[in-house]
Amino acid sequence: MLKKILTKIGVYLLVLLGLSILVFIIARVIPGDPARQALGPRVSEETVQNLRREMNLDKPLVTQYLYWLKGAVYLDLGNSLQTRRPVITDIRQYLPATLEIVLLSALFMIIGGILLGIVSTKYTGKWLDGVIRVLSYLGIVSPSFLWAVLFMLLFGYLFPVLPTTGRISQSMAAPSRIITGMYTIDYLLQGNIAGYLDAIRHIILPAVALMLGGMAQAARLTRGNMVENYLKDYIQAEQAYGVTENRLLFKYLLKPSLIPTITVMAMDIAAIFGNAFLVENIFNYPGLSRYGLSAMLNKDINAISGVVMILGLVFIVLNILSDLIVAWLDPRVRLMGGSEE
Amino acid sequence: MKSKKAIVIFAALFMLFSAVSTQAGAAAVDTSIPEDATIVRTGEDWPTYYDPAVGSDYSDSTTQCNVYDPLVFPQQDGSIKPHLATGWTVSDNNLVYTFTLRDDVKFHSGNLMKASDVAYSMNRLLEIGEGYAYLYKDVIGKCYAPDDTHVVFELKTPFGPFVYALIRFMVVEEALVTANYDKSAATYGEKGDYGKTWLLTHDAGSGPYKTREFKLDEYFLGERFDDYFLGWNADAPQYFKISNMTDPVAVRTAMANKELEITDELQPLENYNTMDAMDGVDLAAFSNSNTFNMMFNTKAEFSDDVHLRKAVAYAFDYDTLRESIYPGALESRGPVAVVLPGFDKTIPAFKQDMEKAKAELAQSKYAGQNITLNLTWCAEVPEQEKIALLLQSNLSELGINLAVTKKPFGSMITDAQSPDTTPQISFVNFASPYFEAGGMLRTRYHSSSCGSWEQMEWLQDSKLDKMIDDALATVDDAERFKKYAEIQRYIFDLCPTVWGFNWLEKRAAQTSYLTWNAVTATEKGENYFMPMGFAIYAHDMTIKK
Repeated sequence: MLKKILTKIGVYLLVLLGLSILVFIIARVIPGDPARQALGPRVSEETVQNLRREMNLDKPLVTQYLYWLKGAVYLDLGNSLQTRRPVITDIRQYLPATLEIVLLSALFMIIGGILLGIVSTKYTGKWLDGVIRVLSYLGIVSPSFLWAVLFMLLFGYLFPVLPTTGRISQSMAAPSRIITGMYTIDYLLQGNIAGYLDAIRHIILPAVALMLGGMAQAARLTRGNMVENYLKDYIQAEQAYGVTENRLLFKYLLKPSLIPTITVMAMDIAAIFGNAFLVENIFNYPGLSRYGLSAMLNKDINAISGVVMILGLVFIVLNILSDLIVAWLDPRVRLMGGSEE
Repeated sequence: MKSKKAIVIFAALFMLFSAVSTQAGAAAVDTSIPEDATIVRTGEDWPTYYDPAVGSDYSDSTTQCNVYDPLVFPQQDGSIKPHLATGWTVSDNNLVYTFTLRDDVKFHSGNLMKASDVAYSMNRLLEIGEGYAYLYKDVIGKCYAPDDTHVVFELKTPFGPFVYALIRFMVVEEALVTANYDKSAATYGEKGDYGKTWLLTHDAGSGPYKTREFKLDEYFLGERFDDYFLGWNADAPQYFKISNMTDPVAVRTAMANKELEITDELQPLENYNTMDAMDGVDLAAFSNSNTFNMMFNTKAEFSDDVHLRKAVAYAFDYDTLRESIYPGALESRGPVAVVLPGFDKTIPAFKQDMEKAKAELAQSKYAGQNITLNLTWCAEVPEQEKIALLLQSNLSELGINLAVTKKPFGSMITDAQSPDTTPQISFVNFASPYFEAGGMLRTRYHSSSCGSWEQMEWLQDSKLDKMIDDALATVDDAERFKKYAEIQRYIFDLCPTVWGFNWLEKRAAQTSYLTWNAVTATEKGENYFMPMGFAIYAHDMTIKK
């Protein structure tokens, strides 16, 4: 099993290297001069040339990439043209904010998706199943930014019960010590309940907007797998033994039915990072995705590479985690991995 | 066994969080402000660089004038008044300007401003070469302080609008900036980074608001500087905040919830109308020097012919543009924005007249030929697409084909570098770098700006260059303005540009509790001409609690 995981990590590292080459080239071949864009149209050509030299933009592409790769190995991703400070400093500031939303979103997605799937299975063919089906389709076909705009108008404008911009309220101080960078956790660690509640209120709407599509998909998948497994012999046997329906659903049916759902959900969580690009912008939420979007619009080449690499890394970590969870749930996978060892 | 695996997974998650929580252990500053504090919050396009030697964009300029001070300050009627300076003298040869400074100006550190701070600020700006340095680099030869209350600018060549141009020159405290040089960088030799990194998020100014908190990519929060040399109205806002908020839905919601006092100037028309209908919200609409230009490449086939250019100018439907696409925008009359000192009021405006257009086309050397013009519009300004389609429709009546291309502004800048790559027509918004006609004439039509986005016309007219140089070297305002008038008529006859309209800067504001001169002037129908950024000078606003 360990060997299998190590092999996968090796493959993923190669993927990451390929991704770095791809994003490096794309960031540099899209039209526009990043140095000129950073300094503005009226700055003298001499000043622009100095910045190009400073950023190695005057060197061949391969040399530029090697410089970048060498720096990246030591976590030096170069300076951002927008914030004029190291990209890694920006990532350290913005990533925890995005992670905070993504984690809450993932939590909602997992719990909501699985629960809706179970309820749908239990009431297969009944009206509740039909309602969940329709709502799920609606969730799947509607993009996150649409939900974000709707929530913004609904909860910020018509029924202003939840904050719609920023991370915390104007009158609230940031956590006195930044420990994880995630305000909800930092407030809790400091015992600041008012701060925690304020921070969590700010992330509810973006988190819900981000998870609806994934939750709907998870609900459909869970239901489909559970209904399929319901007809299998071992379930029929359990029924014949007189096992109660709830016990049957949760103990014998859910676990094997979750395996494909978990793999898809891991990808959905990665997709949340991608969807957050627009959602963070709509809620004016200072996270990594909004930073990435701004970097792309301003041709901030180092920031683009940094953000994409972080997203690639997140994708890989989630893949590995889903493999581990699937192996934990499915003895066949675990044993196959074991025999290879 | 299962619980062990769960622990491993949670441990992995925890390690991931720990790895990304990079500010571990960092102490945050308490930036909360009292619930009953008065604040003016505005949104603007980001990023913001308020270091006076670095920033020159809208949000930069707005923040700068609230945190720093210039020697002279623009007034509502377009004129200027002494600010940090009490007055100035000019030498007989018009090359030496000596400014006398106030002796009661305190920096936010509590130290008094001296002339050496002013000289240092100018020299730093020129050496770094960013921000508004382009206004001064070809003009100023030397800047020094002979004593604590006088600063001398020695010019390379006489420059009439010099004092007007100084509204963009903000003063920093030398001792504070020097103490914060990052010597690990070698960009500026022994000066290290010249304090650029520190000044990204800290200030060394004397302006009405001092930095309370600056979160890059999020917001700047300033608090009232009690020792501000102009004093305070008791009802002036205690805090000033400018944040990265331009998304229409977010802006509209924030205005409805009174979480934003003044919007940015880039909202869609529909959004302004919706906000205007909200209780306690009104629109301010005031002129700045921003103009919309259709620049003809005068070195390209077809657009090199003055008659063809005039045919296009007469064919365009200006009324639809100003009534439907940019309602309320002012009529453009020639190459200078109509609000600028030095604008010649006798210049007529082009109006749509298809008969005249056909007559001009008939006089063109391309008459009778199959004419196709290439037009590029700026992807960052979506409304320009409507203008392009309107022009396309107008020109089809003349039998001229218009091929329309959308390009990011960065690509347009690249295209502008050579007459061969510059399209026959380019749509560009342009604002004068300082509030005077000379700034517009030199930047837009002098040969020195060819190759930049500011002059895609490629006029390269030596007679015009001489006229502009001569006018700019004239120190007497009346005489200089007379020369500007001649230049404007000369350019008008060449018709290198279709001057579409003069912008009307629109912003929604919470007028139920905020008093802002821009809204008051709009309501009274008075002039409110403010250079970019200065309209949001929070010191002059008041808030009812």
